[in-house]
This record gives sequence, structure tokens and C-alpha cells, in this order.
Amino acid sequence: MKISVRDVGNAKVVKVEGDVDLGTSPALRRTLFESLPHAARVALNLEAIRYIDSSGIATLIEVLKDSQRLNKEFVLFGLSPAVEQVFRLTHVIRIFQVFQTEQEALGTA
Amino acid sequence: MNTPPRLKMKFDMPSDPRYLPVVRGAIEPLAAAIGWDESECRAITLAIDEALANVIRHAYGNRVDGLIELECQESADGLEVRLLDKGDAPEMSKICARDLECDQPGGLGTHIIKKVMDRVSYEVSPDGNRFVACKLLRKTP
Repeated sequence: MKISVRDVGNAKVVKVEGDVDLGTSPALRRTLFESLPHAARVALNLEAIRYIDSSGIATLIEVLKDSQRLNKEFVLFGLSPAVEQVFRLTHVIRIFQVFQTEQEALGTA
Repeated sequence: MNTPPRLKMKFDMPSDPRYLPVVRGAIEPLAAAIGWDESECRAITLAIDEALANVIRHAYGNRVDGLIELECQESADGLEVRLLDKGDAPEMSKICARDLECDQPGGLGTHIIKKVMDRVSYEVSPDGNRFVACKLLRKTP
């Protein structure tokens, strides 16, 4: 799994590539928890995720809850078919703000 | 007429998450060869990966030196998956899928396994903890 973070205005865009599973989700969790306090909005780009398991989904739920506690926005965009399928299986999509593109996720479309 | 031989894959896997991609990489093509479509192959792979992750987290408490025996066998009506571990016995009352109306992160893996597989059973035996799951291949007429 590869993670990159870049600043766009007062937001951070986090891109994840590869597989998010029990072995790699702690690194994603760390990155997202470190990003939240330093941005008004964190947008997670999921288009290059080949695989995500329940530990990855649980990580996203934890980050969402922390963003609400910190009064920040945590949004998702570019769901790959693999990610969309797991979201569908776990019924958690309804709790997230999901967008198609980065511009929409950042509110600049 | 003799029953034709069927494919069986067996892994002896350390309880280390870095081996999970290796197993996933074998299961998905097996499911495809049996006859499921791409989306179903992904779901079956996910369910088996979740079962392995449960063993790593709960039976072995994230220790990486445990042994997990995994068998995936093509059956007459689909796929049968067997896992055996020598870790802590599961508390049967705690093996439950999460309430999907609740937003807590726990229990998602068990929910996925039960939703994807057609039959799932857990058993504590003298050999260890045994998990068996079956997925039926529904042939369209």
C-alpha cells in the first residue's frame, strides 16, 4: 500500500494505492489521524485501492468519528469497484459524504 | 462413472497479516475457475480474508507465530473452505455480526462472512478451532 498526502488550500487530499487490509490499515489510520488536526477538510481518494477489508472500513469509521469530534470534514471520493462493493456489503456508505471527483470533494467544482 | 478429481488448495499460513495478500491472490482465480463472476470472486476472497483476519486478531491476539491451516476445495455444488488454528478458543456468544444500524467499527468482518457465504460454522475441537464455510454455485438455467 502506498499513501501520499498533499495540501490543497486549507484541505488535505490523501491518496491510497494498493491493498488496505489487516496488515496495512494501521498505516492509513496513522496518516489520517495525523492529517485531521492540520486541515479544515480531509478528502480521501479511493480510486486506486484494489482491495479493502473490514479493518480498512473500520479505520474510515474511526476517522469520521474523530473528524466530527474535532469539527472537521472527512470526505471520500473516487470509489473503485472493490471499495464500493465492500461499502455495499457493510451498509456503511450512508454515514460518509462520498463524491465522484476531487473538485467535488473539495467543494471547488 | 468415476467422479472427476476436484481442485483442492492447502496453505499452512503463519498468523502474520503480510501473508494475507498471498492467499487472496490464490483464492480469487480459484473462485473464477469454479464459475463465479468478477464481483462474486471479490466477495468470496474478501470473506475468506476476513475469516483469516479474525483468527489472527482474536485466536492469536495479533501474534505472528501461530499456525493457520487453510483448505479451499471445489465441491460438487461450489466451494468449501476450512480453517484450523491452535489459538484461543472463540467465545461463541461473541461471534456475532454487527447491527448494521449502528455506526461502531467492530463486527464488520463477521457480517461480511455471513453475508457472502451460504453456510458458516465454528467448532472447538481437540485439534483446535475449526471454521467451515461453503459457497454454493447457483447455475443459471
